[in-house]
Amino acid sequence: MTAILQALASGLALGAIYGLIALGFNITYATTKTFNFGQGAFLVPGSLVGVSLLLLAAGKPHWGNLAPSEMTLFTYGLATLASVAIVGAIGILLYYCAIKPFVGVGGLNWVLSTIGFGIILQNTALAIWGPASIAVPSPLGNEVYRIAGAGIRPQEVLVAVVAIAVMVGLDFVIRRTRFGKALRAVAFNPQAAAIVGINVEKIVIIAFVISSALAGLAGILIAPITTASVFIGLGVALKAFSAAIVGGLTNARGCVLGGFLLGLIEALVGLWRAEMREITIFLLIIIVLVVRPSGLLGARSVEKI
Amino acid sequence: MPGLHHALGVTGVVAALALVPLLPLNDFHLQILFTIGVNYLAAAGLNVLVGYAGQKSLGHAGLFAVGAYTAAIANVDWGINPWLSLVLACGFGAVFGLVIAMPSVRVSGPSLAMVTIGFGIVVEKIVTEWTDIFKGQAGLYGISAPSIFGRSFTNLHWVWFVGLLCIVTHLLLRSLLRGRYGRAFLAVQLAEPAAQSVGISVVRAKTLAFVISAVTCALAGAVVAQQNQYFNSDFITFNLSILFLVVVIFGGSGSLYGPLFGAVILTLLDAWLARWPALQHFTYGALLLFSLYLMPNGIAGALANLVKRSRSAQPPALSPERSLLLEQKRDRGTGPLLVVKDLYKAYGGIVPVRNVGFSISAGKVHALIGPNGAGKTTLLNLLSGHVAPNGGSIRFRDQEIAGEPPHRIAALGIARTFQNLKLFGDLSALDNVLLGAHLHVETSFLPSLLGLTASRRAERAARGQALALLTELGLGERAFEQAKSLPYGLQRRLEIARALASRPRLLLLDEPAAGLNPQETHELGEVIQRIQAAGITVLLIEHHMDLVMGISDHVLVLDYGEKIAEGAPDTIRQDPRVIAAYLGAEDETEAQIEVVA
Repeated sequence: MTAILQALASGLALGAIYGLIALGFNITYATTKTFNFGQGAFLVPGSLVGVSLLLLAAGKPHWGNLAPSEMTLFTYGLATLASVAIVGAIGILLYYCAIKPFVGVGGLNWVLSTIGFGIILQNTALAIWGPASIAVPSPLGNEVYRIAGAGIRPQEVLVAVVAIAVMVGLDFVIRRTRFGKALRAVAFNPQAAAIVGINVEKIVIIAFVISSALAGLAGILIAPITTASVFIGLGVALKAFSAAIVGGLTNARGCVLGGFLLGLIEALVGLWRAEMREITIFLLIIIVLVVRPSGLLGARSVEKI
Repeated sequence: MPGLHHALGVTGVVAALALVPLLPLNDFHLQILFTIGVNYLAAAGLNVLVGYAGQKSLGHAGLFAVGAYTAAIANVDWGINPWLSLVLACGFGAVFGLVIAMPSVRVSGPSLAMVTIGFGIVVEKIVTEWTDIFKGQAGLYGISAPSIFGRSFTNLHWVWFVGLLCIVTHLLLRSLLRGRYGRAFLAVQLAEPAAQSVGISVVRAKTLAFVISAVTCALAGAVVAQQNQYFNSDFITFNLSILFLVVVIFGGSGSLYGPLFGAVILTLLDAWLARWPALQHFTYGALLLFSLYLMPNGIAGALANLVKRSRSAQPPALSPERSLLLEQKRDRGTGPLLVVKDLYKAYGGIVPVRNVGFSISAGKVHALIGPNGAGKTTLLNLLSGHVAPNGGSIRFRDQEIAGEPPHRIAALGIARTFQNLKLFGDLSALDNVLLGAHLHVETSFLPSLLGLTASRRAERAARGQALALLTELGLGERAFEQAKSLPYGLQRRLEIARALASRPRLLLLDEPAAGLNPQETHELGEVIQRIQAAGITVLLIEHHMDLVMGISDHVLVLDYGEKIAEGAPDTIRQDPRVIAAYLGAEDETEAQIEVVA
């Protein structure tokens, strides 16, 4: 029982991470029908830049292991903001290099160009930080909370709280603000949006900045759980992509739902047999898509004949 | 001309392979040549799937694994001869191609990417974790290579063998893709509903493409396992799936030679840069990022543009045969061809077709009119099978067709055009008509694959007939132009030609005069009358009242999903309910339909 509770907690934390990244896929897919297939690489600078900033602040070289005494919740927060800003800025570069030439062209070229961008980004990080992984302590310490006998790591709580707050905030922005309205207008019909005076390209760039920033945030949030390294991104991003597709790429709340579902299933199956996690998840995904090709909450697209 | 160039090219490759032992090549060089061949094998089949059928797969490493592990386990654990293991690997590849096709043909876009990625990862995890059978990272040792006269393959033999496999694969695929099957794949990629309307089963076409790609990918995996004599789970990664896709797209998807360019250039680049691993990755990334920007259709596309600039395309000489329009005289005035009863279709609360019933008599021109939103196009979609009804019956030549898939209805003899043109835009006008005749090109899979004479003869006959039909409809001069480059009026007419090429008994035309100028509309009327004279029954949806009243024998009027009147044009013209439906006012019975037409 306690094991299940424990698994639920880490599943929620993991799911929150998947949801964050999946939300980024949703935002750019809605506006451009493209998304960053190399998103995994964006988690890398997200975690490593933040860690390096903390290390530099502690008067150490940019690479090395971080001691728990060298960070507080406040400095971790500042480092997170800096990471998110930098990765968000890389999103602008991504848009101009890998997306803009291929928007509206159709075909698969944008898939390959974004993968290419990701490879370059990852190898740049490899040149700066090297291949070894860096252990990162949690700003809330490593003492396990005991809830009904189950041990829950503080970073898992932090991850879930921050991610959920960001997702709720983003949901509010998209549904209730002027910018959100413009974003939805572009998603619905870019030409019509342009006619009523919306700067479509600006909205699209912001969408990519948000999407990249979310990946950066995910990177630094999971660093204390997975360690920070150049190679953490691919697996996480692939699951996040799966979450987005299963929940419904066209539906923001569906993407978040998909994230939590995936995180929970992964944690619970892991309890049973760790090596069956991926096999179970991806078989389930295939079955879900056969029954509901546009995902659980995705809008069914009907081609008009 | 292309035939001669092709024969020279293939001879050149064979000669180059024969000369390999004379060159100062070491084992490293031979390994590179071998890798080129393997990448080509995997990419050539994947190109059929991605470039022709338009199904993007990001999981073909899984199929590579199927081939490699079949060859390995068959030999090591079951003691099966290496040659037989290769055949077995292709067979298992085909089976797994079917397995991955089953979920894949039901989804599209990002969901398709997801299903294929999922397949690749599931296979990767199975071979990694199920160590009892697949030995995981430790791998399977001692896989025997094929041997001839008791002598095992050397590295040189492997290059020859893979080269031979590549040439055979190329010849088979070339023969298949240049005919009926290649056209069908492209049709599925370019316009699914139109492909269905000419009798192509989209599910079957996509499944076939999956199986073809699976077989070549499995073959590639099998030869790698045998040449290496060792195989472990580290070979099978998501990156391998990406690599295969990159070879196809960078080389030029949808071109026969794209995978060749991709395999040669990427393998050489990879080998050359292997000395500087960091640079290798950056180059790979930059290649993906920028090459498609500079060459959207890959290397093959860029080369084709260069060649096109230097010489204008010479259409092959073709002698038109007798036109189909002159040949058929079958359904002149023989009772009802189609009987519709209580047909019902609802989308949630909207009911575009509500208990409609009518019958269509053979050999006549019937018109279906009604205000916008009356449900005309939905009714047509129900008849052609593009939309399944919720209830009611459609009997065509005494056979129930309600709810049948469109390709089967097309095969029974109902052809259609589309309100918003659905031509195969990238293909020539001739190919569009040839696709119309898809069900009548008399060849099946094996003869097409092997390029047998019978298959080539059928193809030639079909081309002659298609050209005759185009000529008959005034499109003969433009048979070799891309459909999308034709003027709008001719595009509309080409759609009619495509529909006629399927030799229908009933032709459904959805607003054929939309967007036509008065002269073109007049000509359209004449064309429809000629179609009727050829014995083909016509049902047309049209807003253009001059046309409707001028050529139809019988008019059906639909409003809010219900049939409100039917009869001869003159009767309809006077019908108060029809007038009311068009003008929206019950009491202005004197108004004439022409006012709104």
